[in-house]
Amino acid sequence: MFLTRSEYDRGVNTFSPEGRLFQVEYAIEAIKLGSTAIGIRTNEGVILAVEKRVTSPLLVADSIEKILEIDRHVACAMSGLTADSRTMIEHARVEAQNHTFAYEEPIPVESVTQAVCDLALRFGEGADGQESTMSRPFGVALLIAGVDERGPQLYNTDPSGTFWRYEAKAIGAGSEGAQTELQEQYHRDITMGEAEVLALKVLKQVMEEKLSNTNVQLARVTQETGYTIYTKDELQSVISRM
Amino acid sequence: MAPLVEPSAGFKFDNVKRNQLLGDKGYKLPTATKTGTTIVGLIFKDGLVLGADTRATAGPIVADKNCEKIHYLAPNMYCCGAGTAADTEFTTNMISSQLALHSLNTGREPRVVTAMTMLKQHLFKYHGHIGAALVLGGYDSTGPHLFTVYPHGSTDKLPYVTMGSGSLAAMSVFESRWRPGMSRDEGVEMVKEAIEAGIFNDLGSGSNVDVCVITKGNVEYLRNYARPNERVEKEQSYRFRKGVTEFYAPRAARRGQDSAEMDTSA
Amino acid sequence: MMDYASMQFAPTEVPVEHHSHGGWEPYVDNGGTSLAIAGKDFVIVAADARQSDGYSINSRYDPKAFVLSNQTVIATTGYAADAKRLVEVMEQNAQTYFHKHDRAMGTTAMAQLMSNTLYYKRFFPYYVFPILAGLDKEGNGAVFSYDPVGNMERVVYLACGSASALVQPFLDNQVGGANQRGHEGGFLDRATARKIAIDAFTSATERDIHTGDWLDLFTIDRTGIHREKRELKHD
Repeated sequence: MFLTRSEYDRGVNTFSPEGRLFQVEYAIEAIKLGSTAIGIRTNEGVILAVEKRVTSPLLVADSIEKILEIDRHVACAMSGLTADSRTMIEHARVEAQNHTFAYEEPIPVESVTQAVCDLALRFGEGADGQESTMSRPFGVALLIAGVDERGPQLYNTDPSGTFWRYEAKAIGAGSEGAQTELQEQYHRDITMGEAEVLALKVLKQVMEEKLSNTNVQLARVTQETGYTIYTKDELQSVISRM
Repeated sequence: MAPLVEPSAGFKFDNVKRNQLLGDKGYKLPTATKTGTTIVGLIFKDGLVLGADTRATAGPIVADKNCEKIHYLAPNMYCCGAGTAADTEFTTNMISSQLALHSLNTGREPRVVTAMTMLKQHLFKYHGHIGAALVLGGYDSTGPHLFTVYPHGSTDKLPYVTMGSGSLAAMSVFESRWRPGMSRDEGVEMVKEAIEAGIFNDLGSGSNVDVCVITKGNVEYLRNYARPNERVEKEQSYRFRKGVTEFYAPRAARRGQDSAEMDTSA
Repeated sequence: MMDYASMQFAPTEVPVEHHSHGGWEPYVDNGGTSLAIAGKDFVIVAADARQSDGYSINSRYDPKAFVLSNQTVIATTGYAADAKRLVEVMEQNAQTYFHKHDRAMGTTAMAQLMSNTLYYKRFFPYYVFPILAGLDKEGNGAVFSYDPVGNMERVVYLACGSASALVQPFLDNQVGGANQRGHEGGFLDRATARKIAIDAFTSATERDIHTGDWLDLFTIDRTGIHREKRELKHD
């Protein structure tokens, strides 16, 4: 890919003669530098797990937040330029609240995902004289987990504004190895208990640091209780089951 | 200054100033029942036909589904009334009495112009505050006569007339079909159609058709000549079972007590 | 039950001869009556089709009840032009929702949307008294009442429009069991609810001059919406 670098990678709105948008592709590359995030869908709910890169003993690990709530029934894990995710999550949260306000019902998970992807595509000059608000594509990928009347669902979005639905998905630096492992271990009848352990096991395999209850985050979204982030104690009890 | 002696006849205006004051302060006077109405009349070869619908309204509500709007004035004269129900009723009654006295005094059958003149003078006197819009018809020594009398006192003498909120609907029938020298049956049929035009196209008119045919020395009062709006049967019975209504248990003791104390001798 | 205090500026009486004097009036009351009765697993909606202005009939068949989805119906009374626009807006939103979320909008979502749609015009309201009726997510009959500026309430039965003062007490007694000692309460069966709806309209037609001509009657249940058109008196 880098061999074919040319002038065509300067603008976000210029296709190369081969039909590629290099800036978007580079943005996708940026995610591969990010910390690993994993999502696993079960019939009872969805598990999200992320590694935190605690790069210094002086860094307050609690200040790193890579799983966030979008609505009571939708959560999101991220990898890449996490600062970019602020904009996307803010957008997703507003969309969710607008839906509840308009229809007095929770927004469908796929609609949240679609809304985020619509935003991701708004880079470039802006159509027909509209003011452009984004100069480049987002450098972040999301795992969006949620429950609605279609049951528990897991979606993955990337900087191109595309989304896919997954049973289990890994993104970030360790995603290749993690995805292979998920493919081996995932089965349709997996329980939430098994998924918690699997998520951490896979994460452990691709992490450089030793996995502990301070350098990972774990969250679940279920029909009954919605989004819940695990406390340190809860995290520890999952670790002890590994 | 109030007069020391109450006037023996006519209206009392004692409350006019008070009501005006109350009106200025925003109090609304009670509204009189008005009959949105279709009333008509036409001349045919041997006499004339009067017609009226039978709906009386109070605002948007039907107050009476089968009221009588063709009023008796004299044995040879009838008068259809539209407008404020009380005004048409009292005005025609009053004129009827005066016509009866007039007949006794003169020993003659009253003339329709006489009734018409009395009506217009009475209504003009009250500047339109008596809300009576009338169709007057009768047969006297000078032949058949048909008049309309408006609340302010103006009158028309015409071979076919309509009045009330349904007057336009009714007139559309007359204007398209009336011709001189029609037979009695043709006249009655046309009056029926004119009233029905009002009944179906004017919301102030409804229910049945009353007809009155007046010819020389004869009157046919055809009450409910047509009934084109019979009420349909209900889908189910609404009879209540015994004991649905709440009541206070009677105190047995009271009955004896009351009868003992009550003085019924007077 | 409903809060009409917020719509004092909208005329509630039929303006007779309103064209002949005074300034321009944005609203007309076109009369008509609507009702809805919720059952356990069905709901009945009925509305007459007369459209009037003062003592005149504009149309003997101008329907004021509309199907919004295969489980929701809206019935309107008040100003016919505003009602038409309100229904258009609701239909547009229902269609947009279907495309955006790949599913039909449910009755409760539609109910909230209508409240928002009405309140959006808080200072130049739609002069409409709508009833929204359908099945909720659980399949139960649902009736929603509104005032013209969006105040919403879920009720079991309701009458709106020119004969509402005649019909609502009848429904209170026959559906709600008001003033009936020993009334069992609970939902009506479908056949009885339908008969009560029809009788309410034949009776309203007798006494309200703005109600009559034709009756549109909808029964909504799990199998869909069943429509009947019945004749009422034309006088």
